[in-house]
Amino acid sequence: MDALSLLADGFAGAFTLQNLLWVLIGCLLGTAVGVMPGLGSSMAVALLLPVTFALEPTAAFIMFAGVYFGGLFGDSTMGILMNTPGQASAIASTFEGHRMAKNGRAAQALAVAAIGAFIGGFISSILVVFLAPVLADFSTKFGPAEYLALAIFAFAATSSVVTDSAVKGLLSLALGLGVAVVGIDGVTGIPRFTMDSNYLFDGISLVTVTVAILALGEVFYSASVARHQEEGKIIRPKGRAWLTGAEFKEAAPAWGRGTLIGLPFGIIPAGGADIPTFLAYGTERKLDRRRKNPQFGDKGAIRGLAAPEAAGNATTGMAMGALLALGLPISATAAIMLAAFRQYGLQPGPLLFERSPELVWALLASFFIAMVVLLAINLPFAMLWAKLLLIPAPYLYAGITVFCGLGIYATSSSTFDLLLLLGIGLLGFLMRMNDYPLAPLIIGMVLGPLAETSLRDALTSSSGDFSVLFSGPIVITLYAVLVLMLLLTLRSKVTKKTGNDI
Amino acid sequence: MPLLIIALATYLLVGMLTMTVPDSVAFPGPRFFPAIITAVLYVLALADIFAVIRKHRTSDTLQTVESSGTYRDGDPAAAAHEDVITRVDIRSLAWAVGGFLFFALTLEYLGWVIGAGLLFWCVARGFGAKNPLMALIVGLTVSSLAYIAFDMGLGLNLPSGILGGGF
Repeated sequence: MDALSLLADGFAGAFTLQNLLWVLIGCLLGTAVGVMPGLGSSMAVALLLPVTFALEPTAAFIMFAGVYFGGLFGDSTMGILMNTPGQASAIASTFEGHRMAKNGRAAQALAVAAIGAFIGGFISSILVVFLAPVLADFSTKFGPAEYLALAIFAFAATSSVVTDSAVKGLLSLALGLGVAVVGIDGVTGIPRFTMDSNYLFDGISLVTVTVAILALGEVFYSASVARHQEEGKIIRPKGRAWLTGAEFKEAAPAWGRGTLIGLPFGIIPAGGADIPTFLAYGTERKLDRRRKNPQFGDKGAIRGLAAPEAAGNATTGMAMGALLALGLPISATAAIMLAAFRQYGLQPGPLLFERSPELVWALLASFFIAMVVLLAINLPFAMLWAKLLLIPAPYLYAGITVFCGLGIYATSSSTFDLLLLLGIGLLGFLMRMNDYPLAPLIIGMVLGPLAETSLRDALTSSSGDFSVLFSGPIVITLYAVLVLMLLLTLRSKVTKKTGNDI
Repeated sequence: MPLLIIALATYLLVGMLTMTVPDSVAFPGPRFFPAIITAVLYVLALADIFAVIRKHRTSDTLQTVESSGTYRDGDPAAAAHEDVITRVDIRSLAWAVGGFLFFALTLEYLGWVIGAGLLFWCVARGFGAKNPLMALIVGLTVSSLAYIAFDMGLGLNLPSGILGGGF
C-alpha cells in the first residue's frame, strides 16, 4: 500500500489553492479549445506549451493534465453537436453521438459522453497509480538495445499502423528524425547540418516544431482551404443533460467494455486513442446486431457512444502513466508533454520517480481532480461551451496566430526562431495539403535522439557487432509483437479493400 | 511534396559529406544515424512518386470516381492533388504568411503591442474579416491584453519596441 500513501501525499501537494487554480484554468482552457470546431487537444497543448514555461514545473504539469483531458471532453462535445470531431480519437463517438443529437437526444448524448469519459479516465488513473511504479521499476532493466527496440516499435506503429498510407507515414517520420539530427552531436560534439550558423548549434527546438506543425500550419490550412468547405449546423440540446435510470443501465456495460478495451492501448505505442475508440465502437456494433431490436443506425445508440468515449479516455490516462514511467510517448500530445518535461530538465522514466516524487504524485493526484472538475464543468454547462462558437472565425484564428508568435518569442527572444516557425509551419501546411500524417513527425523528433544514442551506445559497446541489437528476452518480445501487429494491420487493410460494410 | 523531401534529403547528404570528422571517432560516428535517415528519405520519396504516377495512370479511367470524392480524406491520388492546388485560396494564404513574415522581421522594432496587433489584423483579413477597422481594434486589444498578462503578469520577455518609453 506504498502507492496509496504516496498518492495521499500527492493529493496534499495538489490541494493547495494555487494548484487547484491551475487545474481549473487548464480544464477551462482545454475544453474551450477542444470545443472549437477543427481544433483538438493536441493543438491546445502545443499552444500552451511555451507559455507554461513561466510557471514552476508542478503547476505547469498540473495545468497540462487539465488541458489535455479538457481537450478530449471538448472534442466530443462538438463532435456530437456539430459532427466536427477535432481529433481522430473523437471520430468514433461522433457516429452514434451525432445521430442521437439529430434525433432530439442531444442532452442525453452529451451526458453519456461526459460520464463515459469520466469513468474511463478515472479507472485508468487508478491503475496508473499502482502500475506506474512497477513499470518504472521494470524499465530500470532496459539497456540501449531495449530502448532502441521501444523507439522502433513506436516509429513503426505510429507511422504505418495508424495511418492510411505507410509511405506517407514513414516519410513524415523520417522528416522528424531528420530535424532531430540538426545541431551538435551529443556523443562527439561535432556540429551537424548547421550551415555554420550559431542559431542551429543547439538544434531545432521541439517547441518551435510542435507549435509550427500543429498550430501555425493548421491556421494556414484553415485560411486557404478549410474555411471554404461547408460547416455543419449546430444542434441545440433540449432539457437537462442527465440520464434516466433505464438509460444509465443501458450505457453502463458499454462504459465498462470501452474502458477495458482502452486500457491496454495506453502502454502500447500505437498512436494514442484512435484505434481503441474504433475497436470499442466496432465491438458495440457487433454486439448490437445479435440483439432482438438493434439500435445502431438512424436513431443513434447510447452504447455506440458510451464505449468509445470511455475507451478514449482510458487510453489517454494510461498513456500518461506510460509517459511518466517509461518516458515513452504514445501519441503526439504525449510527445509534447515529454518535450515539456525536458524543457524543465526532467527526464521521465524510472529516475523521475526517485528524483522528484512530489511532482509525479502531485501530477497523478491532479488527474483525479481534473476528472472531477471536468465532469462538473461539462455536464451542466455543455451549452455554455457551445456559445464559444459565436467568436467569428477570423478573430479566432488571428488570436491563435498571435499566440504562436507570443509563445515562441517568449521562450527564445530571437527573430530567427520566428522565421523558423514560419518555415516549418509552411512545411506542415504542405504536408496537410497532401494528406501526410503529422503525428509521426512529432514522435520521430522526440524519440529520434533516444533512438540514435541507444543505437550508437549498443554498437560501440559491442564494437560494431549488429547482433547485439536482437538479443535479450525483452527485445525479442518487442520485435515479435511488432511483427504480429504489422501482419494484422496488413490483413485488415486487405480485407477492407475486398469488402467493407458500413 | 516528394520533390521537397528530396531537397531536404540532399541537404542532409551535403551536410554529411562536408562534415569534418576526426579520425579518432569510432565506427558508429555522427554520420551513421543521419545516413540511415537520408537513405530512407530518398527511397520513400521515390516510392511516393511512383505511387503518384501509378494512381495518375489508373485515375484516367476512374475519373468519375475521383471527381466525386472529397480530397480531404480521400486518397492521395495525383488527380486529387491537382484538385487541391486549384482550390487553395492563394490570397488568404498570402495574407496569413506575409503577415507573419512581416511580424517576425519587425517585432523587435515595432514592439509587441503594435507588431502583434498588425499580425492579428493580417490574419483576420486573410480569413475574410468583414470590417478591417474593427479587426484592427480587436487585434490591438488582444495584443495589449497579452502584453499585460504575460509580460507584466507572468514575467515573460516581450519587446516593448517604440512604445517602450511609455511603459
